[in-house]
Amino acid sequence: MMEVSTLTNVAFWGASAMTLGFALIVVTQRDVFRAAIALAGSFLGVGILYFVLSAEFVGVVQILVYVGAISVLMAFAVMFIQDVTLGSRPVQGRLVGAAVAALILAAVAFTAVNTDWATMDDITDPVAIAALTEGYVEIGTGDDATVAITAPEGTTQLVVENGGVLVDSTGALGVLLIREYVLAFEIIGLLLVATLIGGLLLMRNPGPGSEAAAEEKADADAEAAGSEASV
Amino acid sequence: MTIENVLLVSAALFALGAYGVVSRSSLITVIMSLELMFNGVVIAAVAFSRFTPSAALLSNDPITAEAIRSALTGHAFAIFIISVAAGEAALAFALVFAMFRARESIEITDASAMKH
Repeated sequence: MMEVSTLTNVAFWGASAMTLGFALIVVTQRDVFRAAIALAGSFLGVGILYFVLSAEFVGVVQILVYVGAISVLMAFAVMFIQDVTLGSRPVQGRLVGAAVAALILAAVAFTAVNTDWATMDDITDPVAIAALTEGYVEIGTGDDATVAITAPEGTTQLVVENGGVLVDSTGALGVLLIREYVLAFEIIGLLLVATLIGGLLLMRNPGPGSEAAAEEKADADAEAAGSEASV
Repeated sequence: MTIENVLLVSAALFALGAYGVVSRSSLITVIMSLELMFNGVVIAAVAFSRFTPSAALLSNDPITAEAIRSALTGHAFAIFIISVAAGEAALAFALVFAMFRARESIEITDASAMKH
């Protein structure tokens, strides 16, 4: 069930090398624009990793949101802010930072290697194995081309097809998001609206006709009037 | 490709991002490094989803569609983290612009008005 093909291994290590290599450029490059380009490459590598890990939908979201949107946002930010010709210099105390980062890496590596992870092979239920490795559809979306497995009474009937870890993970993920995680899903929507409003507020340009400018002018006038009166 | 390998890559990306956050002088690069850290965490979530079974799949109860879907909990986490990271990036850049407007600089060391 968990056999990984050579091709998958090659893709995994290739994507990992791409991700980490570009990430290294991001954190060492002085030229901020080059760092932004390298960041897009790193995001793309992570997207490929998701595909290798059988998370197609997450991979597509990664490419749409990170490679497509956030990278462009970074490039815009770099171009809008003149100061970047200065570059991104290393700051004092980065050796401490490197030590802390190495410590994090060592701690996680130690935990990852020394933990006895449960594997997919621990699943014993034949219906679960069939549904995960060969796919499933719920009753009601009948497809004659698939083989039906009749689950115990009172549960959903499962149908199998094809190989891979949870075929049609996108469909199942959609159902998961609007059933089990619907509250979080709604809150994310609220959060994005709040972000939008917050971003607009922060970016608002207090032009000559704005309230802030008018207040400043009123203050200056009052001060001038006060000083005149005292004279 | 085992779960150990993927977790190592994830931790390496997180550590690189952490190093970037504390070692660069430009706020833009710091935000880029933050995004790298987010990505490292998401890789771990997806890896757990791919390699380890959920409790519902290990139990002896009859398998329901909900139990099958629970194998994708890591993917749902990934989607939520990506959404939060995207909002965070947009807001962070708005803050950088606001700071640039106020101080004509995006150097970390110039953002120390509340330090002393």
